[in-house]
Amino acid sequence: MLDADAVQSRRLLAGFGRRDEPARRAPWPLLAAGLAIAGLALLPLVYLVVRAFGADAASLDLVVRPRTFTVAASTVALALLVGLGTVGLGVPIAWLTTRTDLPARRAWAVLTVVPLAIPSYVTGFAFLAAFGPRGALQGLLAPFGVERLPSIGGLFGATLVLVLVTYPYVVLSTRSAILRTDPSVEDAARLLGDRRVAVFRRVTLPVLIPAIAAGALLAVLYALSDFGAVSLLQFDSFSRAIYVQYRASFDRSLAAILALMLVGMTLAVTWGEARLRRRAGSYVTGGRSTRRPPTIVPLGRWRWPAFGLCVAVVGLALAVPAGTIAWWLLRAVGQGEPVRLVVDGTVNSFIAGGGAALGAVALALPIGLLVARFPSRLASLVEGATYTGFALPGIVIALSVVFLATNVVPVLYQTLALLVLAYAIRFLPQAVGAVRAAVVGVGPRVEEAGRSLGDGPVRAFVRLTLPLLRPALVAGGALVFLTTVKELPMALLLGPIGFETLATEIWDAASEGFYARAAGPAMLLLALSAATVAILLRSDETGR
Amino acid sequence: MTDRRPAPNVPAVRITGLRRQYGQVHAVDGLDLEVRPGEMLTVLGPSGCGKTTVLRLIAGLETPDAGTIEIGGRRVAGSGASVPPERRRVGMVFQDFALFPHLSVRDNVGYGLRRDPDREVRVRELLDLIDLADAAGHMPYQLSGGMQQRVALARALAPRPDVVLLDEPFSNLDAALRTQLRGEVREILRAAGTASIFVTHDQDEALTLGDRMAVMVRGRVEQCAPPEVVYGEPATPFAATFVGIANLVPAECHASQAITRFGAVRLVGPRAARAEGRALVVLRPEHLDVLEAPDGPAGLDAWQVLRRRFAGTEILYEVVAADGERLWVEAGPGVRRLRVGDSVALRLRDVETVAFPSGPSTSAGAVSDPLIEGSTVA
Repeated sequence: MLDADAVQSRRLLAGFGRRDEPARRAPWPLLAAGLAIAGLALLPLVYLVVRAFGADAASLDLVVRPRTFTVAASTVALALLVGLGTVGLGVPIAWLTTRTDLPARRAWAVLTVVPLAIPSYVTGFAFLAAFGPRGALQGLLAPFGVERLPSIGGLFGATLVLVLVTYPYVVLSTRSAILRTDPSVEDAARLLGDRRVAVFRRVTLPVLIPAIAAGALLAVLYALSDFGAVSLLQFDSFSRAIYVQYRASFDRSLAAILALMLVGMTLAVTWGEARLRRRAGSYVTGGRSTRRPPTIVPLGRWRWPAFGLCVAVVGLALAVPAGTIAWWLLRAVGQGEPVRLVVDGTVNSFIAGGGAALGAVALALPIGLLVARFPSRLASLVEGATYTGFALPGIVIALSVVFLATNVVPVLYQTLALLVLAYAIRFLPQAVGAVRAAVVGVGPRVEEAGRSLGDGPVRAFVRLTLPLLRPALVAGGALVFLTTVKELPMALLLGPIGFETLATEIWDAASEGFYARAAGPAMLLLALSAATVAILLRSDETGR
Repeated sequence: MTDRRPAPNVPAVRITGLRRQYGQVHAVDGLDLEVRPGEMLTVLGPSGCGKTTVLRLIAGLETPDAGTIEIGGRRVAGSGASVPPERRRVGMVFQDFALFPHLSVRDNVGYGLRRDPDREVRVRELLDLIDLADAAGHMPYQLSGGMQQRVALARALAPRPDVVLLDEPFSNLDAALRTQLRGEVREILRAAGTASIFVTHDQDEALTLGDRMAVMVRGRVEQCAPPEVVYGEPATPFAATFVGIANLVPAECHASQAITRFGAVRLVGPRAARAEGRALVVLRPEHLDVLEAPDGPAGLDAWQVLRRRFAGTEILYEVVAADGERLWVEAGPGVRRLRVGDSVALRLRDVETVAFPSGPSTSAGAVSDPLIEGSTVA
């Protein structure tokens, strides 16, 4: 009963070639390059498994130690709370900014997603520096005899910070589902006898649930992988435990085993997210050309409370970090903190970020070409392999790369090249996404025209397709650059001795309570976050 | 659900003086319309004439600025009444189907029956009616456009509404499927015995489907009558030119007769007896015989072929006279293929048609152009 046409059109939507074009066989150099890159991307995961299974019996006993269970339980608790918190915050905000007469709705639509670009350890640092034991709030209250504030750390602080950084995932996925759902569907339900509330319960919500869940799972994935915020706020989830274990002991097998357990959790979450996203996609591709805009619900007397909610959320997620950092920056200037630290950190961050961007784009180009031009089962597998970096927490990749380097290629250990390579693997998915979309957009016709005018295949590619791809390559590279600059755990574990980036400087200073010293680099990272948002919004407008 | 179908003499829908304005735009501007029980009424009009707004007003998805709406003899809007959509007993088939994407075919059809103890039976009955019993467990995204269309219709019919509203339901489907579904939808609605309003901008659809058709323009109904009456006795120049091809030819009227440059035609329709003086009469292409004599028989003007349009069994020609008047005429299979530039003569057949009094400003020769519909010119 499955209509062939419907299947075909969904295949087209999913990006499987064109209807009139049989799949072509990929040239072998391209395929070989693709396979090599896929192998490179899989290397950290494979080596981690090898290493963990190579552990002796004594260290396997460590797996069942109570400590391991405590860490696992803490991690699960954090993940659950972040999931609930992001849904509780993200769904109302998504609805308010799309379907209601909320005052300044368009401005809120942008402002409420900006926190996504701020690294968790910057927000974590800001919360410590604002509400922590020696933070700004305590300083302001000191004249009134307030000696101590309750601790901001632990599960509460970690949950709060992570929710504030990740709720935009839920806002984005829910909002896009709301906007793509045909509003006639709700009209249809009313005409079949349901009142507004019943329509919401029986139609609106069920249609949105896969999208909401997909967003929440992204937030959970982030929380599982997060290192910066949980470390600063001293909450023992897997990533912090792995780091402590790695730094503290000579036997690194336990770190490997903990990392593998974390990978198990993130892979399960990633798999669930991918499944739900597919279902959400099939739910919301109902209507076509003649869609009316969503009906706007008047909020009535709830209009200003809703406005208040947006003020509170954006205030906590944006204004508090920015304000706190600015406050400490002023104090830092007053105390005469050395500017040299900030300059060094910036230079190093740009070197690492630039290298990672070039590397990721270079690795992504063959993959993008292979997948978009020569779709096949093997090509899909190759592409899937390059997405490992997305599912693996940065701390896990870093750990595995450290093991690999020390045991297999000691020459590379503690070099900038290794850090850059690890970054390129980690952020490869972002670059592949950009390249692949661009290759599909350019299409094979231009190159075919070049061939018919006398160019060989390589020459035609270099003269025609490559220049057309350039904007996308630059955009993809810029995204990788900005993400790399904000990255923390890999810089900590893989950076050569004495190689301080903006991220590690913030972490070093903040974890020891030198808030003023952390303020300068933190302000720079906030500015870079703003740049990330600007790029993402622009590519969003130009359709992907 | 108990059958609360109204008595046969009560109109399924009665609309009087309906108005709805968006900013400065009068989407619906004093509209009157009546749908009889069991009847299919097609509403034909150009894009933006307010057709969809009328449906949404009937359904209660919009509120009228003025006027009243009665459904099954019950006032649902106007003069203080304002029944919410869920209690109007109106079924609607949306342009993009609007199936519930998270529910199976079975649950889509049963959606409006949740308090009905015979839900299962009714759903099976409807699935049989639309011939999709095998697909009961499928999800909407697994269905083709035509199947989605039928499910949407069954879902609307399930709670036995007083009237079903169809909003250009075929506009998202390709031409072949459209023709096939036209027949199916008509059969299904006939079998269900439910009155329906079918909105379209496609005149073929309006002519073939409707028991009666309403021609709508600028928020008003210009004419509401059986399709053959709208074609044969159009009430306004717009109705004449929008439905089929019409030449509006200057004439002098007297005593139910109009004298054109081709001779006399008999006038019919409600205003025939009152027509006096200068007027425009409607001449359809088939009202004129094309004679392929280069100089024409004595007393007939020579017309020159401007362009040609093949339309299946006959060929349409646009011809122009020495004085600049242009007409669309039709040549049957008996006439030799004419070429652009050929000279022909035209002879009036035995014609009954209508005339519109021509004011001083009305220009002669207002002709609907069949080429607008994208056909090819040989």
